[in-house]
Amino acid sequence: MLLSAIVLLPLAGAVVSALVPKDRGDIARWIAAVVTAVDLALVVFVALRFDVGAGMQFVENVAWVPQFGISYHLGVDGISITMLALSALLSLVAVVASWNMKTKPAAYFAMLLLLEVGMNGVFLALDFVLFYVFWELVLVPMYFLIGTWGGPRKEYASIKFFLYTLFGSVFMLIGIIALYLQTGTFDMTAMVGAGLSESFQWWVFAAFFLGFAVKVPIFPLHTWLPDAHVEAPTAASVLLAGILLKMGTYGFIRIALPILPHAANQWAPFITALAAISIVYGAALAFAQTDLKKLVAYSSVSHMGFVMLGIASGTVEGLNGAIAVMFSHGVVTGLLFLIVGMVYERTHTRMIQDVSGLSNQVPVAGGLLAFASFASLGLPGLSGFVGEFLTLLGAWKSDVPAVWVVIAAIGVLLAAAYTLSMVQRVILGTPSPIVSKITDLTVREVSLLVPLVVLTLVVGLYWNSLLRFTDPAVARIVELLAGA
Amino acid sequence: MGYVAAIALLPAIAFAILVPMSNRVRNKAVPVSVAAVVISLALSLLAFAQVWPGGHGGEAVYHASVTFATLGSVDLGVGVLLDPISAVMLVVVTLVGTAVQVYSLGYMHRDARIGWYYAVLSLFTAAMLMLVLSDNFLQLYMAWEVMGLCSYLLIGFWHEQVAPRKASLKAFLTTRVGDVGFALGLAVMYKTAGSFDFQVVLHDFAWAPAAATTVSLLLLFGAMGKSAQVPLHVWLPDAMAGPTPASALIHAATMVAAGVFLVARALPIFEVSGVALTVTMIVGVTTALVGGLLAAVQHDIKKVLAYSTISQLGYMFVALGAGGLVAGMYHLVTHAFFKSLLFLGAGVIIHAAHTQDMREMGGLAKKMPVTTVTFTIGSLALAGVFPFSGFWSKDEILTILWHEGHYVVFALALAAAFVTAVYVARLWFRVFTGPTQSAELKEAHVEMLIPMGVLAAISAFIGFGSPYFAQFLGHEGEWPAAAIALTSMSVAGIGLALGWWVYGRRTKVINTRPFKQRAGFVYDALTLKLYFDLTYDYFIVRGYGRLAEMLSGFDRVVVDGIVNGAGAVWRSGTEVGSLIDTYVIDGAVNGTASLIKAAGAKVRRIETGHIQAYQGLMVAALVLLMLWFVVKGA
Repeated sequence: MLLSAIVLLPLAGAVVSALVPKDRGDIARWIAAVVTAVDLALVVFVALRFDVGAGMQFVENVAWVPQFGISYHLGVDGISITMLALSALLSLVAVVASWNMKTKPAAYFAMLLLLEVGMNGVFLALDFVLFYVFWELVLVPMYFLIGTWGGPRKEYASIKFFLYTLFGSVFMLIGIIALYLQTGTFDMTAMVGAGLSESFQWWVFAAFFLGFAVKVPIFPLHTWLPDAHVEAPTAASVLLAGILLKMGTYGFIRIALPILPHAANQWAPFITALAAISIVYGAALAFAQTDLKKLVAYSSVSHMGFVMLGIASGTVEGLNGAIAVMFSHGVVTGLLFLIVGMVYERTHTRMIQDVSGLSNQVPVAGGLLAFASFASLGLPGLSGFVGEFLTLLGAWKSDVPAVWVVIAAIGVLLAAAYTLSMVQRVILGTPSPIVSKITDLTVREVSLLVPLVVLTLVVGLYWNSLLRFTDPAVARIVELLAGA
Repeated sequence: MGYVAAIALLPAIAFAILVPMSNRVRNKAVPVSVAAVVISLALSLLAFAQVWPGGHGGEAVYHASVTFATLGSVDLGVGVLLDPISAVMLVVVTLVGTAVQVYSLGYMHRDARIGWYYAVLSLFTAAMLMLVLSDNFLQLYMAWEVMGLCSYLLIGFWHEQVAPRKASLKAFLTTRVGDVGFALGLAVMYKTAGSFDFQVVLHDFAWAPAAATTVSLLLLFGAMGKSAQVPLHVWLPDAMAGPTPASALIHAATMVAAGVFLVARALPIFEVSGVALTVTMIVGVTTALVGGLLAAVQHDIKKVLAYSTISQLGYMFVALGAGGLVAGMYHLVTHAFFKSLLFLGAGVIIHAAHTQDMREMGGLAKKMPVTTVTFTIGSLALAGVFPFSGFWSKDEILTILWHEGHYVVFALALAAAFVTAVYVARLWFRVFTGPTQSAELKEAHVEMLIPMGVLAAISAFIGFGSPYFAQFLGHEGEWPAAAIALTSMSVAGIGLALGWWVYGRRTKVINTRPFKQRAGFVYDALTLKLYFDLTYDYFIVRGYGRLAEMLSGFDRVVVDGIVNGAGAVWRSGTEVGSLIDTYVIDGAVNGTASLIKAAGAKVRRIETGHIQAYQGLMVAALVLLMLWFVVKGA
């Protein structure tokens, strides 16, 4: 029942928030804060009780529509628990970050809670119908968050986001139906090792690839991302980069690899190539940006390329690394968007040329932004390095062409280039006219960032804090791939 | 012997204490950092004493490790390995570190961010000690990168000015070019040997020559970035924009020597390869010469020392390339002391003369006796004059080159030694002799002079330890052979004499360009740093900027254009559908223009209106589907 509670509690919260009178936004935000905090506590409880050696745990499996093999099937393993923890944590962070939301607060917090329902659900669902419902459910609140509370081009950005990802999920739906017709069930766990033919696997993988690749996003399917990020309010950006992108890569790890292992091996060189291109392409575009949010958005394309690199490697190192990048990117990009948002609230600009000298004027904000930047560029001792290094290690160890691994490794250099040129212009130097008027972060703002800073350090210094969960789960997938 | 780990942890703790403080409190908490490094020094001496008698044949005396990552059956650990090499390095790092921190109390005492300066020095010291104590290559790499961060922060310490800001970025990115090679080297090592541990990689695993060559060359590339070897040397002279004591510690004595340390540690793999040794030697001798020549045309005293450091690091690579572990490590040690001494002396000189330009200095010997004596010892050690330390280590390098039959490299190394002597004389005579150009020259504070005195004493006498050092590392130790010693002494003597002839005989007129008048083309090439910086700036830095702009345009126009185009096609499709719907079907019934207008308005609303329709449709379809399943199921 625990997992159901984790999924349904935010739903209840969303309904209650939506019923709050329009002028009582303060009630709505308290509801949202309490609900997301309790939800996080439940997730922590699950993590503490989690047996790292065992497979799927806390399983809830109730026949739903037995004639069609549909069941209400939830469960966590070492991979989903890390993503679930990230989702619950960032949801709470998103709520607190939006504390001063003035525009339709009741509806806003209801949307955030609804989003958490979908995100938690995606990471817990073990039945395809359920998975698809949660997957699509995520789109709705995110569409409204961007479209209603977004920036000047919010209509364009939100529609683009919605249609683009909807376009992807149509292919995923086709894949799901094809799998159902072949196996007679919608149960993901039952499909593993179902002996699907090689050509069938190839085609279904193609469908899933399109569905997931848009979400990740992989080059050249990424152009919805910068627009969505730039227009989205801070909290939505945090969740978009932190969780929504990971749904795509999670889909690869949870569905495409174990159910279609033979096709995964066949597709690996192609995915590796696209991953390497995403890494350097995203990095080069980030370098060219003048808008801080766009810079972070393109850097996400680059980082998610490392995730795909690790997934395509099919090795223990690569897959552990992929999940480590997913986790770290969620935390670190969350930090980056939050701080950029806090600076924006004071300066009302995100243009790099207008902002400089943060470290002298607002040392706490400048220092934390620098910290997040170094975590993002993969400094050892901080979380970004863990996955970046492991994915490279795994990719080199696998049979994919070495040239792509070398290109990906160059991405590490390019990451330093775009990050530090931003640091140089924004954080260092003498304060610009706009910056010289602003005040440093408040206690609420700092306390919002501190948990993310601590996580960045803990994961970066003691990799097993993360790997102890993921490694046994990854081993099972690698075994399936090796056997195919 | 668990205290060995504390040597590295103490400065890390000092950093952790200092960082969260406000700037004002931190400025007063500087003693925390100094105390940490002093205790580390004491513990390092203790550790060294425990290894000292005979060095245990080069074997490890103490080893401990904890696992921080588990991948399948592989455990990655962070460890502490005390063997003769790490014992020597511990003492070098903590001794120079202490000297620099004490010196900085005087040098930096008026700086508004002195606390932050000390915090970064502490983090650097911790990382360097962690690197030295590593028992595996991954840990070494991680500490290596953290040092890169500290170097970046210290070079850009005065970031309000443009030059330090640019120099810090250049340093980080240039060394990271090398780090890409290092990281790939680790990946190859891991795939081939299945581990990063020294024990496995250097001793247990039987390397095939091809794999050994790949790994060695990639590691070498990393080392070339960190140790500023040609062609990745361009960052080090610019790095002089940082505070001078930081340059002494990081960009002279310790961090830049980490590349040498890496190659020294990995030498068994290099030796299997053979090719990699040759490449190391060629890189080293090229760097020794290029660095020396560039040092000879600089006017900025710190840049002379920076290019000199590049050149001397090249010397160390030559030694390692010839298989001379002892010679390379010994030169690392002597260089660490005399070069940090020279940098600290340069700091005093710059403070006194209020300039870094040697053309505006002169006659310091009369006013600043302590600085003059210590700086002279450092200069003679650098030039390789008996009995100062540089003579001994340089001699060992030349000896091994001769014995191994690398006669061409031997000659080139001698040439580099000659150039070294020339620029040392050029610097010394310009700064210390001739007419005084500043009225208010005065000697530095005592907390700055004492560290210089200690380093000078070491630089003067450590050379006599030469054969014992070899024995300590588990090798045969010998006193220098007369023939090679005399040759190198003569070369140094002639070089110094030439330097005096050109730069030392002045009485009044300061001739800044005797060289320029006689060899204009060569001089121009050298003052333009042999075109390395210009080439990189034009083709790589600006080239990348242009490429990024182009890709940005491509992304907007082509990649996103296709998306928007598809969207437009879809929209016009629905528009046509909508028109057919209203015009043909409805129109057939009503035939009124007003409906067309309404349709147009409807189409314009597509952007906002249709999305809700899609959504509604999708949700409705799902709900119906579910209902249908449920009804059928009941």
